[in-house]
Amino acid sequence: MLKINPDFAVKLKKYGAVDINACYNCGNCTAICPLSEEDHSFPRRMLRASVLGLDTRIEASLDPWLCYYCGECSETCPREANPGELMMTLRRWLTAKYDWTGLSGLLYSSIPALIIGFVLVAIAIIGIGFAKHFNIEAIMDFGHHFELIAIISVFSLILVPNIIRMFWFTILKEKTKVPLISYIKGTWDFLLHMFTQKNSLKCENNIFRWLEHLVIVFGYLLLLFTTVFLNWFSTENTFIIWLGYIAGGMIFVFTFDFILSRIRKSKEINKFSHPSDWLFVIWLFLMAFTAFLVRVFIDTDLLSNNLWLYMVHLIVIAQWALLIVPFGKWTHFLYRSFAMYFKKLEEDSK
Amino acid sequence: MKEKIGVYVCHCGGNISDYVDVEKVRDVVEKEEGVVLSKTTMFACADSAQKEIINDIKENDLNAIVVASCSPKLHLSTFRNVAERAGLNPYHYVQANIREQCSWAHTDKPKEATEKAIRIVRASVRRVRYSEALKPFTIPAANIALIIGAGVAGMRSAISLADMGTHVYLIEKSHFVGGRVAQMGELFSTNEKGEEVISKLYDEIKKRDKIKLFTGAELGSVSGSVGDYKAQIKIHPRYIVPDCDMDKLKEAISECKTEMPDEYNFGLTQKKAIYKAYENCKPEMPAIEKDAFNPDQKFLEKYKDCIDLEQKTETLNINTGTVILSTGFDPYEPEDGEYGYKKAENVITLQQLKRLIELSNGKLEYNNREIKNIVYVYCVGSRQKEGENKYCSRYCCTAAIHAALLCRKKFDSVKGFHLYRDMRTYGKYELLFDEVSRQGDIFFRFNEDESPVVETANGKLQVKFRDILTNNEEIAIEPDLVVLVTGMVPRKDSGTVAGILKTPVGTDKFFNEVHPKLRPVETVIDGMYICGTCQGPKNITESITSSLSAAAKSNSLINKGEIELEPTIIRIDPEACEWCDKCAEICPFDSITKTEYSPDGQKGKTIAFVNESTCKGCGMCAPVCPTDAIDIIGYTNNEIESMIDGLIKEV
Ligand SMILES: Cc1cc2nc3c(=O)[nH]c(=O)nc-3n(C[C@H](O)[C@H](O)[C@H](O)COP(=O)(O)OP(=O)(O)OC[C@H]3O[C@@H](n4cnc5c(N)ncnc54)[C@H](O)[C@@H]3O)c2cc1C
Ligand code: SF4
Ligand code: SF4
Repeated sequence: MLKINPDFAVKLKKYGAVDINACYNCGNCTAICPLSEEDHSFPRRMLRASVLGLDTRIEASLDPWLCYYCGECSETCPREANPGELMMTLRRWLTAKYDWTGLSGLLYSSIPALIIGFVLVAIAIIGIGFAKHFNIEAIMDFGHHFELIAIISVFSLILVPNIIRMFWFTILKEKTKVPLISYIKGTWDFLLHMFTQKNSLKCENNIFRWLEHLVIVFGYLLLLFTTVFLNWFSTENTFIIWLGYIAGGMIFVFTFDFILSRIRKSKEINKFSHPSDWLFVIWLFLMAFTAFLVRVFIDTDLLSNNLWLYMVHLIVIAQWALLIVPFGKWTHFLYRSFAMYFKKLEEDSK
Repeated sequence: MKEKIGVYVCHCGGNISDYVDVEKVRDVVEKEEGVVLSKTTMFACADSAQKEIINDIKENDLNAIVVASCSPKLHLSTFRNVAERAGLNPYHYVQANIREQCSWAHTDKPKEATEKAIRIVRASVRRVRYSEALKPFTIPAANIALIIGAGVAGMRSAISLADMGTHVYLIEKSHFVGGRVAQMGELFSTNEKGEEVISKLYDEIKKRDKIKLFTGAELGSVSGSVGDYKAQIKIHPRYIVPDCDMDKLKEAISECKTEMPDEYNFGLTQKKAIYKAYENCKPEMPAIEKDAFNPDQKFLEKYKDCIDLEQKTETLNINTGTVILSTGFDPYEPEDGEYGYKKAENVITLQQLKRLIELSNGKLEYNNREIKNIVYVYCVGSRQKEGENKYCSRYCCTAAIHAALLCRKKFDSVKGFHLYRDMRTYGKYELLFDEVSRQGDIFFRFNEDESPVVETANGKLQVKFRDILTNNEEIAIEPDLVVLVTGMVPRKDSGTVAGILKTPVGTDKFFNEVHPKLRPVETVIDGMYICGTCQGPKNITESITSSLSAAAKSNSLINKGEIELEPTIIRIDPEACEWCDKCAEICPFDSITKTEYSPDGQKGKTIAFVNESTCKGCGMCAPVCPTDAIDIIGYTNNEIESMIDGLIKEV
């Protein structure tokens, strides 16, 4: 016997849902969706569950992660209930649900909390600069270590536990019996989807967007690798220097395009932008752009007189690493890939 | 006997001539007695062909014509008109149907079809030889209409009739006008209040001298026929002294101790035995429920200037040309236990909710409980699989949604959960559905085979159902109030009026029109019309549309002071008639009575008498007459016998 909770739909508005109550369940959205399958039929069912407030059902579902937001459903919906944006909203809500710290939910649903978080991180970095007497070398040294430590701790303290929670909600709690061998076999799917997002190619006319996305992912991983592990800012190796330039360039060119299309609202997917969407693309852009500039300043020997640039870069990096990566849209990259993995497990259990 | 007959055999493009040899038909029929001219024609109904026929009639001095073509349903009046334009009496025209009754029916047998066509045309030619020149009757008609029921439909109809110059008697059974609309508070789709709508109509009525309104009035009996109905009207007293001191009357009301359920509020409240339907009801003079009223002598003595229990029912006899029925509907009253009605606590009907909204201020309360969540169950008493009400009441989806919107507007955060079978907010009303769902009301769809269960479980009101929109899963809601969205049924006492007027009712017990599409407000009885919800479920717009239509039909019939009737009725041969009353017994329209017949002052005899204004010429009486004294004009024995001869003669 289901119990309904109409307040849930009201809560979802904070996460971005627009007009879902207008849905009259015609099912056009599901019919047009290129990714909806018999066993994973969406978005109408998710919309219905949201309107009725069946939150435990949504929490146990992988469906929101299977949607790549081509926006066809929203374009087709005769009631303008924006089912595509609802799927996006549910991804935000699930991110908050999986997060054991509860910070994701706070940052998603409250703009003041978001601003306070960003300002606090900025103040902390400036404080550290102050503690290091604004000595460029000491700060850069700190920066380098900070990146490493941040990555390790965010992963082990936040992301890994959260993925375990996701596993609990979607597989264990649902008492899905998965054969052991599937856990190993499924890793291929996991890696494949993580790095290629190939399912999004099933969306019509999506090749360019997929390519852009792919370039950004690789650019991002490359930049991460060159800065953190190859120590880009201190290296003399020309190859590494160029590698970093290329990675940074790739990111900021394509993120710039993403930002522009969000401003223009040219595509269905860009019509509604939650603060978290803006933050994600802008900070990615800023990160790559400031990294690029820092290296240019190093190469032209200007950095020592322009400490502020590195400070800005460090603040952006810290905000990214401490807020956006563990609690923001970055996690989608991870959850989506795990969702493909869990889906495979689910299928094998049948 | 007509001896100068013209015959036209039509090809109908090929519709006829592809299967019937029209030239052969013409050749044979040409030889019939009396035929002086015969032609075939490509399209007899074409303008040029019509002109040719007119010329032929004039040039050859024809005194009868036959066109062998399609069904008379299509072109009888066309060719009667042709005859008239050529100076011939239109009843000297006969149409032979050789298309629907011949060529189309026998496409596989052209030879036989031709033979059959010859017989049909020959029969028509023989019939037309006996045709008589006829003129439509006129009977006098009083330019007066009697309207029964002063709801919106009756009131609006009265105003319209008066404006067209017809005198109106408007009678209303209750002591106050307005019917259901007065009870419904704010209405879709204008958001006006029902009471305001009624006050406006009432003021308009009062402005028109041509309208005589009687409240507390009922139809006693009706006799006569179209143009000249005689009606007896019973007017029940209010038991209030006219022109009494209103302040004193108010005092009497406040002192009155007798109370009873207030049907205006659908039993949600009590009313006094001296009462007004509502504060601004029309007319404003209160009335007394005498059967329930039992004041002591002291009370009566004190208020003898205001209250007069000796007043008697009066009878009024009127003459009227037409009658319009607008007696309205009853909202369906659920059975005890139907969706928990009267069994579970806090289960009410939509009409009660409408009153509750009007009676509540600031917050919605029922049974001392503040209402925050309402479950609406749709189609209660409509579209029943088992029960009597088989179809959709059409107003209720919209009315329920409008009520839900009202609740959201008037009271803080009242949520609606709608359990429907199909959502029928047709036309513009869909916008209301859109609005309420966007505001957050939730819609669920149930299957008629698995109706929701409403019960009190552990002291809590609970509704359980399967929702088609959620994979047919079971859902339970615990609302504060369940509202049954009830349909429309005929008035409990509509049978009484139907009995007096002899107007037919359908299997659904609503009054029946002649033809739902082509004659939607006429009844089979000439001069009697139906409009509004006494005919079937309607909203106000639809009720008014039909009431204006009934007014227009009514006025156009009687406004000239006389009515033209078809002459093709029956005729009694006074010599042959012996008055056995068999014909009077069988006549479905009660058109035959008896009369004294005394030609040249000799001792008379009793014979049958036909009421020309009610006889329809159906012919039921002719075959039962043992002395063959009845002829149907246009189908006399001579005509029929000659047709039979024409049909059976070998080709
Ligand atoms: C809950 C509810 C809400 C509604 N809301 C709306 C709305 O918001 N908008 C809308 O458009 N429609 C609405 N409707 C429909 C509307 O009420 C009807 O369309 C309208 O009342 C029909 O008017 P009527 O004159 O045909 O009948 P009625 O209103 O029933 O009037 C008939 C009149 O005839 C009188 N009468 C009956 N028998 C006799 C007799 N034998 N002799 C003399 N008088 C007689 C009655 O006393 C009554 O005064 C609603 C209906 C319901 C039940
Ligand atoms: S297309 Fe729109 S209205 Fe239809 S089911 Fe999907 S969201 Fe609902
Ligand atoms: S209008 Fe709606 S509630 Fe009324 S009978 Fe029709 S479908 Fe049912």
